[in-house]
Amino acid sequence: MTPRTITELAAALRDGTTTPRTLLDAALAHVDRTEQDLNAYLAVTRELGYTQADAASHVLEEHPDTASPLCGIPMALKDVLCVDGIDTTAGSKILRGFKPPYTSTAVQRLFDAGAVCVGKTNCDEFAMGSSTENSAYGPVGNPWDIERVPGGSSGGSAATVAAGSVPYSLGSDTGGSIRQPAALTGVVGFKPTYGRISRYGLIAFASSLDQIGPFTRTVEDCALVYMAIAGHDPRDSTSDPRAVDDPLASLHAGVAGMRLGIPREYLGEGTEPGVRDAVQAAFRVLEAQGATLQEVSLPSTDVALSVYYIIAPAECSSNLARYDGVRFGSRVERPSLTDMYLQTRGVGFGNEVKRRVMLGTYALSSGYYDAYYRQAQKVRTLVSQEFEAVLKEVDAIVCPTSPSVAFPMGSRDDPLSMYMCDVVTLPANLAGIPGISVPCGFVDGLPVGLQVIAPRFEDARVMRVAHAYEQATDFHAQLSPYASAAA
Amino acid sequence: MTLSRAEVDHVATLARLGLSDAEKDRLLGELEAILDHIARLQRVDTSTLAETAQVGDLVNVLRADVPEAPIGAAAALRNAPATDGSYFVVGAIQGTELDA
Repeated sequence: MTPRTITELAAALRDGTTTPRTLLDAALAHVDRTEQDLNAYLAVTRELGYTQADAASHVLEEHPDTASPLCGIPMALKDVLCVDGIDTTAGSKILRGFKPPYTSTAVQRLFDAGAVCVGKTNCDEFAMGSSTENSAYGPVGNPWDIERVPGGSSGGSAATVAAGSVPYSLGSDTGGSIRQPAALTGVVGFKPTYGRISRYGLIAFASSLDQIGPFTRTVEDCALVYMAIAGHDPRDSTSDPRAVDDPLASLHAGVAGMRLGIPREYLGEGTEPGVRDAVQAAFRVLEAQGATLQEVSLPSTDVALSVYYIIAPAECSSNLARYDGVRFGSRVERPSLTDMYLQTRGVGFGNEVKRRVMLGTYALSSGYYDAYYRQAQKVRTLVSQEFEAVLKEVDAIVCPTSPSVAFPMGSRDDPLSMYMCDVVTLPANLAGIPGISVPCGFVDGLPVGLQVIAPRFEDARVMRVAHAYEQATDFHAQLSPYASAAA
Repeated sequence: MTLSRAEVDHVATLARLGLSDAEKDRLLGELEAILDHIARLQRVDTSTLAETAQVGDLVNVLRADVPEAPIGAAAALRNAPATDGSYFVVGAIQGTELDA
């Protein structure tokens, strides 16, 4: 049996052809069969899952019409999302054995909807990376080719959906950590507008950039998960109180009459030819559906990467100061307090985290603050202004999600070449605007993603364009070897 | 752009990161390469631009001044490496060791 979408499973649960327990059995069996190759999970939450499956069965029996479409359906959570009493490591040694005393709001909303948790997924340490090779618990295999990376940092969440173990998962996106792995594994990945989804209980990386979002196999499923978790939360002071537009209401409206912009800087020389061809073919599909495509310019694209690699490390160096061996996490005992801090952090953090903490501390240090951090904050304004101007001219931006397809593990050992992975995703984080990646083709059997970006709070518009494209193509329906082999 | 080994030492102390000499040597080269790339930021004319610290438009978000149930000492201490009753335990702070 091929993996089914949320929509299909919700129908099957209601017509009695399956039960939450059956679905969980199948998901766990699939994880058991594939984990040796994929390493997508840091924890499998069997006990929690069966408790939730039984509760969901009850809700579906009593209230089949009012139960959430997510009720009784298995899912997985990136290991940066806190769940009360369940090991949460953020892919770091320093948090080995950490059991949060509360559950994050986005996750609690899924649990309230009757979701069934299969496990916590592997990721780059503290969500820092673009390949999931920075996890302290080993890399994740890409289900299309396990010698290649699944992208990152939410690589485990992307891989488990692409492998067909679960129909959806949650990730977090600070510079592309949902969209880029979605592109590299051939699934849908969505980063909502900054402030749309509460980050309460999300282990912080860079607080002015972080957003939680879903991985799914279709845009419609993405809309369903988004509606379950979006909306104001008093526990996150950056959470926006505005009402959430239901993307399902406009999902089928199509793109006829819409103006779509192609930023010329996003198809530059760093873009692999196969990716460029696939994305240009996608533009023609959108045109055939009645959209008007035009070239636009975002001239600060090449400096946006520099802005990001000042601001994100600066914020991370501050956020990660809390890992001091006192209140939670591991500790290396030393007689003096300073030595205890130094050794705890020196042993507990991996290379990429140390690199970013060093870079951020340097950028914020006396004598360099103005030249680096303040200058980056000003250029960030320019990046936002350019998006604002372009998005007055066009309704949405369409472009590649990643300049490359999935690359072999170990092939990008130079930090700068890894940072380049995010060159077309991180500008949307700097501007706080929504972006989605939807499958748009293959190069030598490896998936390519089309990115759609829209103005702030136009999350529904992003999904509308992506859905129109998806319905006209069948790339999203193609299955990785791990999914097509699913029993 | 040249970063000195002394600056790497200083920043590591500020960040409270215990690094081996080999790690510091490697970081020196890597950070230099990253800073060289980032240097293009200096060419942007920002004389008319304000700083962006956050992208939302919310200002001074406050909740009602109503007490809520606290998380409780037991839950707050559950993950601590060393505790004593309702306290976290740390080593003694000696002299001026935090003078970096």
